Amino acid sequence: MTVEQGVYYALGGLGLFVFLSVIVLILTWGERKVLARIHMRMGPMRVGFQGTLQPLADTIKLVTKEDILPSWADRRVYWIAPVAVFLPALLLWVTIPLGRDLVLRNLELGLFYITAISVLSVMGLLMAGWGSANKYAMLGGLRAAGQLISYEIPFIMSILGVAMLVQSLNLITIVDGQANYGYALVQPLGLFIFLMAGLAELGRTPFDIHHAESELVGGPFIEYSGAHWAVFFLAEYINTFTVAVLIVLLFLGGWRWPEMPFSGAALSALSALWFLFKTALVICVIFWIRGTYPRLRIDQLMSFGWKMLVPLSFINIVITGIVLFYGWPLWTLTVLSLVLLGGTFYLIVKNPGTSIERNTVTVHAIRATAQPPVPETASETEN
Amino acid sequence: MINMGPQHPSTHGVFRLVIWVDGERIVKAEPHIGYLHRGSEKLCEDELYSQVITLFDRLDYVANLNCELAFCMAVEKLMEIEVPERAQYIRTIFCELNRIASHMLFYGVYGMDAGAVTPILYGFRERERIQSLFESVTGARMMHNYFRVGGVNEELPDDFEQRLSKLTDGLKQGIDECDGLLSQNEMFLARTKGIGTISGPDAIAFGVTGPALRASGVLEDVRISEPYGIYDRFDYGIPTGSQGDCWDRYYVRVEEMRQSLSIIDQAVNQMEAGEILANVRRIARPPKGEVYIRTESPRGDFGVFLVSDGTDKPYRVKVRAPSFCNLQALQHMLREAYIADAVIILGSIDIVLGEVDR
Amino acid sequence: MTLKTAFRKPVTAQYPDPKKRLAVAKRYMGFPALLWDEDVDEPYCTGCMVCIRDCPTQCMTAEMKDNPKFADDTSRRRKIVDYFEINLGRCILCQICVDVCNFDAIEMSHEHELSKFQRNDNRVDLAQLLKMGNEYREKTGWTPKQPEKNSGIPIKKDDKPKPVRKRAPKKTTTPANTPVAVEVEIPTEDAGEKAKTSS
Repeated sequence: MTVEQGVYYALGGLGLFVFLSVIVLILTWGERKVLARIHMRMGPMRVGFQGTLQPLADTIKLVTKEDILPSWADRRVYWIAPVAVFLPALLLWVTIPLGRDLVLRNLELGLFYITAISVLSVMGLLMAGWGSANKYAMLGGLRAAGQLISYEIPFIMSILGVAMLVQSLNLITIVDGQANYGYALVQPLGLFIFLMAGLAELGRTPFDIHHAESELVGGPFIEYSGAHWAVFFLAEYINTFTVAVLIVLLFLGGWRWPEMPFSGAALSALSALWFLFKTALVICVIFWIRGTYPRLRIDQLMSFGWKMLVPLSFINIVITGIVLFYGWPLWTLTVLSLVLLGGTFYLIVKNPGTSIERNTVTVHAIRATAQPPVPETASETEN
Repeated sequence: MINMGPQHPSTHGVFRLVIWVDGERIVKAEPHIGYLHRGSEKLCEDELYSQVITLFDRLDYVANLNCELAFCMAVEKLMEIEVPERAQYIRTIFCELNRIASHMLFYGVYGMDAGAVTPILYGFRERERIQSLFESVTGARMMHNYFRVGGVNEELPDDFEQRLSKLTDGLKQGIDECDGLLSQNEMFLARTKGIGTISGPDAIAFGVTGPALRASGVLEDVRISEPYGIYDRFDYGIPTGSQGDCWDRYYVRVEEMRQSLSIIDQAVNQMEAGEILANVRRIARPPKGEVYIRTESPRGDFGVFLVSDGTDKPYRVKVRAPSFCNLQALQHMLREAYIADAVIILGSIDIVLGEVDR
Repeated sequence: MTLKTAFRKPVTAQYPDPKKRLAVAKRYMGFPALLWDEDVDEPYCTGCMVCIRDCPTQCMTAEMKDNPKFADDTSRRRKIVDYFEINLGRCILCQICVDVCNFDAIEMSHEHELSKFQRNDNRVDLAQLLKMGNEYREKTGWTPKQPEKNSGIPIKKDDKPKPVRKRAPKKTTTPANTPVAVEVEIPTEDAGEKAKTSS
């Protein structure tokens, strides 16, 4: 590697870090505003215009907070855990493109790299739970680890479905294949599975039991305060952005669909903007889901993952394989996917665990047994 | 052993629940109460009857007027005062409005227990509407001090009828919205169906009353078993569940809100002009005696036992708080639950620590 | 469904924003305030202490003095309040003081903000209470409920005002505390001698 390449990568890495930090700040503000609008209220308003400097205020607060460490906690593990969660989130971004040329290093095995690195953060959560010397943190950490590992399978399998369509793991090639139609139209089932698995990987509602506030408060992050917690927080939001970007890249056409006009620098700029706009839409959907649904209990979550998503993701691969092998036109894949998706929703709604009967409450009518007294002439009622 | 301590985001007030767990299953649960004990019953012994009403406001601080009503009825029964018709209607309208407000708070907080962040905002939106109507009539949003021995304190303002009709229209829509958001949501159903069941005979044995009892299938309501006030003049419905689980307890309350709206409509139509306060001395001096009154508060059977010795201060006031008695069934309901369900079950009993601890 | 509500106007408003602030209802019970009788230039309050006795939290103290204006024959009130203090931190805003006042002297103002800069600033004295009363009166156009009875304007000796009854005359039932005739034993001289011999 030459010096120029070294400088290029160093600057690129730094630029990426700055870009991601800004994105995280915007995301935290955006989440609070979107949730507030769903709740018919206003969200952050004071700090800066419409609260746009609120994330900055939050960062300053977090960084200046006192670092409290339980005396019998394992210091090395406690300190490394945030880094172990944050570093994979950052490393993923080495290979994610924001435009045809806006990528740090495009790998031929881009998707493989992504799935491999994203599993590493599980270890960080376990270390956080262990290092805190707190039984709630331990319980939370174990639950989180179980949840993340079991949802890796549908995550990876749905990515595999897309890779089969393109015959490549290179992210730029995948986007190039979607010039005229995104793969969401071809594999809606894959989109659904990836969205659900992604939400579970992120630990967001409806799958946020491991850091639920109304139960084991905070989960593995209970004992972290100040800057350590800020690192976890940063990692979670970077991951949210990553999942949204992956959805757009794999299913919604990336910076194409349709291809932007002009050429040269204007093309790159417009494409990047179009890409970011689609990502913003996906992120709004993720926040919207958070605002609407209650959370699932841990065993219901696991049963949803293993009994529903894992078989579905395998079936997704099988039908994709069949369509490609027999050379059928791609809309057959769409039809099959939609049928399966419909079947899934039907099963969720009719799941015997949730509702034997929907409405078990009856209303008994009570009739009036007395009458109001007949008013006497006006003078007597006035008294 | 896990301690869901007094400072927990989800225990509805200062309440401590000590749970013994085996893996994820709860083996034994022990509630510890008393963190909000203010000595209300003892304070009553040193205050005039008009001042005791302010104390009763603060017992069940979510459904204030129902508590004031119980005490006023107790004194009126002792002194054998007949409350004028219009005052009865006003009292009924306000008690039913307060029932809707209390159930809206339950709805909001229960949604938050289950993990959804929006129901609480929707519930409190509806509650704000009701509270601003209260403010225009009684002068306060929560601690009204509006009922008096013999009637109510002030006449209704002139624009009350149209404000009330606007409010009931808004509430109808609001209740439907809240119902649509949460009741048939698959995840909510998964969290609450089949959890924390208690059968009818068990519930009666534990002394459970109110919506929790009706959800177990028992048609028992103080308004029909010992009708007080003018409740026998209205057509309304009493919802009962059949499974006795958390979802039934939740949905019984949602249906009760709708029935309260129908009672309010009928009461407004039947109300005539008239006096609002009976001819009672300002300082009430009931004759010596004792009386026990039962009313149906949004939490259950709210009872007041009043012993008077002829002076202007009560000799002894004992409050039968429904939340206190409903809590006895908590351990039975928790017998085969997961830890994560403990919060859901506690939320479905709908306790208010002000009543439990007095 | 939440998408629908996302586009509604927000229900909440920022706290000190004056435009969006909800007006309090006319009957809103804020902190109590004393009222000033413009006709004779003195407070309505005579310092009779009924409100203080009836307050559930005992948050008020007062003293009365002889009214110098009565001696000058410029006012009807024989006594006037000298010193009045309310601890606003203890007041529970229950309105009992207003209900029992005989002189229309105290009303619940619309003040409800309790934050002050000094530690004991929530104990307000007579001047502050009268100021609160004036603000309340200007804001709502308050008039006394029984103007003839409670006015301070001195009356001529000939026509005494008839007292205005607020409620209908009482029913004729025996109140609970009529004294019951009790047999009292008058000690006779035998008892006295018995006591002497036994001691």
